[in-house]
Order: sequence, then C-alpha cells, then structure tokens
Amino acid sequence: MNPTDADVAERLQDVELIDRLRAGEVAALDSLMARYSSRVYRLARGITRSDADAEEVVQDVFFTLVRKHDTFEGRAAVGSWIYRITTNTALNKRRGKRFEAEIGLEELLPAFKADGHRAGDPSFLLADWSQSPEQDLLSTESRRLLSETIDALPDHYRAVLVLRDVEGLSNEEVAEVLGETIASVKSKLHRARMALRERLTRHFGPNC
Amino acid sequence: MADGPTTRLTCQDVIGLLVDYLEATLTEETVSAFERHLEICPPCVAYLRTYRKTRELASAAARAEMPDEVKARLRELLLEQLARKGGGRQRGRSREERTS
Repeated sequence: MNPTDADVAERLQDVELIDRLRAGEVAALDSLMARYSSRVYRLARGITRSDADAEEVVQDVFFTLVRKHDTFEGRAAVGSWIYRITTNTALNKRRGKRFEAEIGLEELLPAFKADGHRAGDPSFLLADWSQSPEQDLLSTESRRLLSETIDALPDHYRAVLVLRDVEGLSNEEVAEVLGETIASVKSKLHRARMALRERLTRHFGPNC
Repeated sequence: MADGPTTRLTCQDVIGLLVDYLEATLTEETVSAFERHLEICPPCVAYLRTYRKTRELASAAARAEMPDEVKARLRELLLEQLARKGGGRQRGRSREERTS
C-alpha cells in the first residue's frame, strides 16, 4: 500500500470512528483515544511546557471532539483538525500568563562579515561537538540547558519546532495548522534550531 | 544569490539554506554549490554537523509521553461527557468492559 492509500484508509477509519462516536459508542471513543491522545498530549506538553496545562489541553481537545463532533463534517483529515485545535488551545493557555523572559533570538543567531563569511572567534566557529560521547550530549546538565532554551523560545517558534521536529509534520502541514505561510514556518524553524545550536555550542565550548 | 553551475556561496548563503539542504529540496546546482563551499569551509562543516545534531537532541528533549494516570482521568471524564450527551455508556461498551 503506498502512502496515499494509507492516508485515505486512515481518513476513512477516522470518519467512521467519528460517526460511531456520534452514535454514542464508547468503543469509538477508546479507539480515537488510542489513536490520538498520546499525540495530543505530546504536542500540548511540547508547546505549554507544563504537565498540568498539557492535561487541561488534552481534556479540552477531547471534550470538543465529544461535544462538538456533530459539527465536524469529515472534510479535513481528523489528524490535521486535532493538531490544529491542540495547537491553538495550547497557545491560548500560554497567552496571558507570565513566564520567564523569552530569549533574544538575535543574540543566538550567527553573525556575518560584510563579505558573507562568519564573524567570531575562529576556535568557536570550528567547534564541532556533534561527535562528542553520548553521555556528554545526554548529560543531565545538557538536557536541562536544552529544555530551558526550548522553554524560553517564543511560543510560535516552539510550536513550529515541536510540530516539525517532534511530530514530524511537513512544512506545508505545519503552515496549515498554524495558519502561517510555509516561508514563515521554515524561517521560525531555522531560527529556533540555530538558537538551540548556539546555546549548546556555548555549553560544550570550542574544546569539545 | 544567482543559481548556476559556477555559483559561489558564502557562509551566510550556506547557513540560510540549511533547512532546504537537510530536506533535500534544493536544485542539483545549488546542492553542488553548497557542497563545494563545504569542501573549503571547516566552520560551515562544523555548523552543519552541530545543527543536524541539535535537531536530533531537541526532538528528544521536547518529546513527552502521556502518563497512564492522565490517560485514565481523561477517559473517565469523557465517559461522563458521553453519558451526559445521550446515554453513551448504554450504546456501546469499551474493549476493557467487553473483556472483563
């Protein structure tokens, strides 16, 4: 079965599950939960960075599915619809709350000379920690640093990073979920990754 | 940036193209120019390698699994919702209920 056939089959199964849920069938709810609850939680946790908020988001999303599923007409893939309401609900949770100051992305982006070459200390520019031992890359300290930096990314940048690099959506799918252009998604993804890379490079240093 | 067989890319061009390079969406000519630049630019090689590793580490760091107790609480709440909406419990039973 090629991917297109698989997508179509999955969409039909989802629509059938929604119909059965519409008829009040508990087994359909269990199937939809088995299919989507982990993804919804992972995405919500990735965006809100809070266990409690993620739980609230996953409840809100499934309540919407149960209460308003009769407004869902099956035109869009259920998966895309769920990603969209999860992302919006998670971003709304963050809105209006005070968090630690977001990082200044500009400070973490590479600097260039007028001729387009990198600017900066040569030993830092050559720092390549990618082959460092796994125990260093995955140490408690580096995981904490990475986690803190992800937390401090502007919300929409973090949403793009999670949708792309954790959930594995395409740029086109992320653009649809967020209502942004593909160019904007790619730009946010790139800047978020560069900011994280810079933090890690400063952590591991030129003598890695 | 002009795209052609003799295109020369700067570090700024190369770093700006990383997303497309890793997604293999560049034209053959741009890939050639990109890789010609890497052959003469160790800092960009280091940047590419650490950028790629960052993507891998960030993907793992941002991944959270749903705890079983959260799943159980969610199911209970949803069953209540379904029952309130129209006797959902009577119309169908879950796999666990059927096998218990």
